[in-house]
Amino acid sequence: MSARPALRWRTATVRGVTAESARTRTLMLDVPDWHGHRAGQHVDIRLTAEGGYQAQRSYSIASAPEHDALELTVELVDDGEVSPYLVDELRSGDQFELRGPIGGHFSWSVEDRGPLLLLAGGSGIVPLMSMLRHRAARAADVPARVLVSVRGPEERIYGAELDALEPRAGLRVEWTYTRSTPPGWGGWARRVDAEMLAQLGPGPDANPLAFVCGPTSFVEHVANLLVDGGHDPEAIHAERFGPTGG
Amino acid sequence: MEDLHTDGNHVAGMLGEFLAADATTTRRRCQSCGAEHPLAAHRAYRGAGVVLRCPGCGDVAIRIAECGDELVLEWRGAYRTRRV
Repeated sequence: MSARPALRWRTATVRGVTAESARTRTLMLDVPDWHGHRAGQHVDIRLTAEGGYQAQRSYSIASAPEHDALELTVELVDDGEVSPYLVDELRSGDQFELRGPIGGHFSWSVEDRGPLLLLAGGSGIVPLMSMLRHRAARAADVPARVLVSVRGPEERIYGAELDALEPRAGLRVEWTYTRSTPPGWGGWARRVDAEMLAQLGPGPDANPLAFVCGPTSFVEHVANLLVDGGHDPEAIHAERFGPTGG
Repeated sequence: MEDLHTDGNHVAGMLGEFLAADATTTRRRCQSCGAEHPLAAHRAYRGAGVVLRCPGCGDVAIRIAECGDELVLEWRGAYRTRRV
């Protein structure tokens, strides 16, 4: 990456809020002098209470770089300091501080080619969705395999959009449910394992670019499966949310 | 309790206030184990500040903390750090 100005805090204004699930919201933001981002990058958000106490969290960008608004998808964390405000309280016109875009390691653009292997645990799908939206916006046919691991149907986000993207050439999206499945589900219903990754493909011989995002335990588990399966560790890009996120 | 850490991606905003380069792709060769990893792949432990540790051997790589209006950085134990 080339040199760029140091990061600065800016004021973001909420243009709108949409519900993705009972516990997840997408925030559409206007940020002055926003110079775009790469799919997969994140921002830091800083909230300041009346007494001056500040809390800061990182959130992945969900929108494609080609989209006119910056969109973040935020999942409610029980007892969190920041997400309850963002999910339950935030309204159009509200403002908060934002710093970014951040991170070129966990990022992708169609020029980087592929094939892509995108593996998400729960809301770890958010930065991968930015990559898929970017791929679709550019009408790229880079082969992509996506696996999303969720505890149950209530954790599924972007489902309808992913179903609509799926028929595009070279894209396949799979889900696995680790606790409860939708009615009549005939697909995977267990934690990600080596057999699942082998069926999903692409294998190490195809030299895929792998992006793994989710809770730390998920990322460690899946990254280890990939390395044990013969994937090049340098081609595995990981982003860990930690136990919660906040 | 392995879930207690995250990774260098989450410290990149703070490091970005020091660096003109992207912190996540910046590569650090550890003086303890000799392995080179991007800062994004380092493990991050958050307490009063954040400690980044080498993903290979666990040696402390960077401590960073916000103290009031000051941001304080301690960078240690690297043979070299390079921007790619």
